[in-house]
Amino acid sequence: MSASYLMKRVGYGLLLMLGVVILNFLLIRLAPGDPAVVIAGEMGGATEEMLESIREEYGLNKPLLTQLWIYVSGVVRFDLGQSFFFNQPVTTLIAQRILPTILLVITAQILSILLGVFLGVIASRKPGGVVSAFVSVFATIGYAVPVFWTGIMLIILFASILPIFPVEGMLSVKLRDANIFVQALDVLHHLVLPAFTLAIIYLAQYARLGRASMLEVLGSDYIRTARAKGASERSVLFKHALRNAALPILTVAGLQFGNLISGALLVETVFNWPGMGRLAFDSILRRDYPTIMGVLFFASFMVVVANILTDMSYRWADPRLRGKS
Amino acid sequence: MSERALNKAESPALEAWRIFRRNVPALIGVVILTVIVLATLYGSFIYTGDAFEIVWAPHEPPGVTPDFPLGTDYLGRSVVAGMLTGGGPTLAVGAAAAAITMVIGVTLGALAGFHGGWVDNLLMRITEFFQVLPALLFAMVLVTLFSPSLLTIAIAIGVVSWPQTARLTRAEFLKVKELEYVTAARAIGARDARIIWKVILPNAAPPLIVSATLTIGVAILFEAGLSFLGLGDPNVMSWGLMIGANRDYILDAWWPVTFPGLAIFLTVFAVSLIGDGLNDAFNPKMRER
Amino acid sequence: MAPLLCIEKLRVTFRTRYGEVTALDSISMHVNEGETLGVVGESGCGKSITALATMGLIPSPPGRIADGSIQLAGEELIGANSARLRKLRGGDIAMIFQEPMTSLNPVFTVGDQIAEAITLHQNVSADRAFTDAVALLDRVGIPSPDRRARDYPHQLSGGMRQRVMIAMAVSCRPKVLIADEPTTALDVTVQAQIFDLLNEIQRDFGAAIILITHDMGAISEMADRVAVMYAGRVIEEGSADSILDQPQHPYARGLIDCIPTLGRAERTLKEIPGVVPPLHLLGAGCAFAERCAFNDRARCTTEKPRLIDHGHHPAACHGVEESRL
Repeated sequence: MSASYLMKRVGYGLLLMLGVVILNFLLIRLAPGDPAVVIAGEMGGATEEMLESIREEYGLNKPLLTQLWIYVSGVVRFDLGQSFFFNQPVTTLIAQRILPTILLVITAQILSILLGVFLGVIASRKPGGVVSAFVSVFATIGYAVPVFWTGIMLIILFASILPIFPVEGMLSVKLRDANIFVQALDVLHHLVLPAFTLAIIYLAQYARLGRASMLEVLGSDYIRTARAKGASERSVLFKHALRNAALPILTVAGLQFGNLISGALLVETVFNWPGMGRLAFDSILRRDYPTIMGVLFFASFMVVVANILTDMSYRWADPRLRGKS
Repeated sequence: MSERALNKAESPALEAWRIFRRNVPALIGVVILTVIVLATLYGSFIYTGDAFEIVWAPHEPPGVTPDFPLGTDYLGRSVVAGMLTGGGPTLAVGAAAAAITMVIGVTLGALAGFHGGWVDNLLMRITEFFQVLPALLFAMVLVTLFSPSLLTIAIAIGVVSWPQTARLTRAEFLKVKELEYVTAARAIGARDARIIWKVILPNAAPPLIVSATLTIGVAILFEAGLSFLGLGDPNVMSWGLMIGANRDYILDAWWPVTFPGLAIFLTVFAVSLIGDGLNDAFNPKMRER
Repeated sequence: MAPLLCIEKLRVTFRTRYGEVTALDSISMHVNEGETLGVVGESGCGKSITALATMGLIPSPPGRIADGSIQLAGEELIGANSARLRKLRGGDIAMIFQEPMTSLNPVFTVGDQIAEAITLHQNVSADRAFTDAVALLDRVGIPSPDRRARDYPHQLSGGMRQRVMIAMAVSCRPKVLIADEPTTALDVTVQAQIFDLLNEIQRDFGAAIILITHDMGAISEMADRVAVMYAGRVIEEGSADSILDQPQHPYARGLIDCIPTLGRAERTLKEIPGVVPPLHLLGAGCAFAERCAFNDRARCTTEKPRLIDHGHHPAACHGVEESRL
């Protein structure tokens, strides 16, 4: 894999992030009303002194381009402004919340890809069979269920009928002082329901996609070649076919990452998971714009990083793309 | 060769319709959707009642009082009334948002695919930029900034959802553009706009129609998500709002949350069954898979 | 001495939307050690099905071996357990396919793909298998084989890829090598090279070759004996010389007339009028009757001719039987 290609991708990613920053800046100014009031938060009950200090800090009395410069140079120093509701710098707020979100999103992503692809491979063995039909139906249902409603239904199920998984938060209060290992196990225990809820939608999609691309690959000439040289059925499926069928899945996984974050927003709200989605929800209720914009910035940042990683793994997985730019 | 093909050449639309009307899941989708649309349009004539009005004791379970067959919510509002009046905004916003998505997406995708070169490059960079923003979060920001109403919600959903449509349209245009009849249209001196709208678009239409159908489903889920988060129009009852408002009491009363969720699910389910059916109808060869 | 590979009264059927269709109708053929059997006929006549049946690779469903026997050195292959068949595939019987462009797996290096064939059948280390693979690439005439072994299929030309396929096929010194239209997808100049290579390989490795082709030119160059197939049956069989000099069946004559001869002043290439009838429309009579210039007896449309020796070599034609031709 060429380092220059990676540099190019990173450079483009930075450009996209600059775009996000400019968009954030424009959104605040395009919103109806005095930007200082917008920044202070309509429900924050800002005093005239506060507004004055905001105007000073953001240079709101200066020309628009100067304001943009002040804003962008702040972001470059990881200064995304002050949340007047939480009374903390936005960057600090997000730093506290970003890891739980990453944990949730990555777990859901892995869960949905592994389970989905596995189901898809099984289904592709018998295109007219029971598993195949189940995958198709399940994919359509998984696509149509509102994710927040799935979460609520699971809460009802696991809170009252089958209380084996915690339905709220990330860490039990009584374990605040326990050792790190016990805490990690407890976090995983709390993670089960939110991660599964989030995974369901995408699991179904990957199963459907996995089935389709496995069917296509299994009909190809090189699979016949693999069989002709005496490879076992398992090697044909999981080595020869899956490596090829994984390519479209990888593409979709990269494209889905943004939607996954959107879904995480709802799931975090339902399960009180202390991540960025929960933060976004809280700050939107309070019209806490600097925090909202900060969340938008960091969520986009995660998408950009995920896209670069997807691109790189795609080039690693498909030798035909290596050495091209 | 089948006799049908020998006897008469069917128009593609007729052929598609012939396949579609034999597709049982798609017909089930049509039936479900028709029932839901009729219920939201005319249901309130049969069951009169204001969804916001407190009419009974809170948390009356379903099936106990004949006046409130689906029970009441945490304030004592009728769940049936909410179900019947709450579908309208959801469906309207879903349809409007899908229309906005298609207009933006098809226009930009068509321009990019048709013109190529720097136009394509620029438009695709813009598309990629919009794909970097997590859609729901971006929609939340837009709705909050411009204060929630059915119109702003529909616009916000359209603004965040068009990139996929644009990519699809562009890909279709790139495919169709190379075909002979487009070259022929150019050869007789047709203007660009005419070639785009009268020659290429009709031929690129089938996948776009399928995509439009599925977009309605996505838009409905979006609207439900926003209303659930409390970002819907506060003066309009909707299924998502019912779920959001009652979600703190789910362990006391499952019904005010379960029924609207089922309604959303069934609507999107029906729409995607129809979308799949259309897809099969337009690509008969794929069905043999 | 019994023939090395012996196919007896093999019947293969496929389930289609027109019902059960007979793709191979009681065909018999054999090949002796070190011999090349040419199987010739138009596309759709059952040549490739015969090859796949011998490899135990008939896709099932929809395909099914309904009757008959395939024996390799006295061992019955039909009904053998799948582990034994896997051992034989790529071991004692190997196959080269028509499409070198798509018959190699795009995500593995060609060296690895050959080495896999070796490790599947021989008890050697992975390193040793790779070294052997490089030696085989050298043997099939690929320049700088140690570097090429690390290439992916897309980095090689069509001719090179077919050489890789041949290297893979002969890697375990098969007793029988089936070559299914090995040169059809290649340039004419490359075709000759591949035939030369197959001849060399046969000399060195002592394998029997079954060459499946529609090209009588290739037959005259390569084959010792020939079986002519039409619509799922063998309609003429004999030594290559005998068939090329004295074709009996009108179809075989047609095929031989189609060979363009240098120096003969023909303005157009001859061809046999009509097409092979679809298998589900085969009637009671001779499958070739509709296209046959000598179809002047009621028998031809009511009774299938049997493969009988009428002097030169066996042919299945009522006209030949009645010495009208």
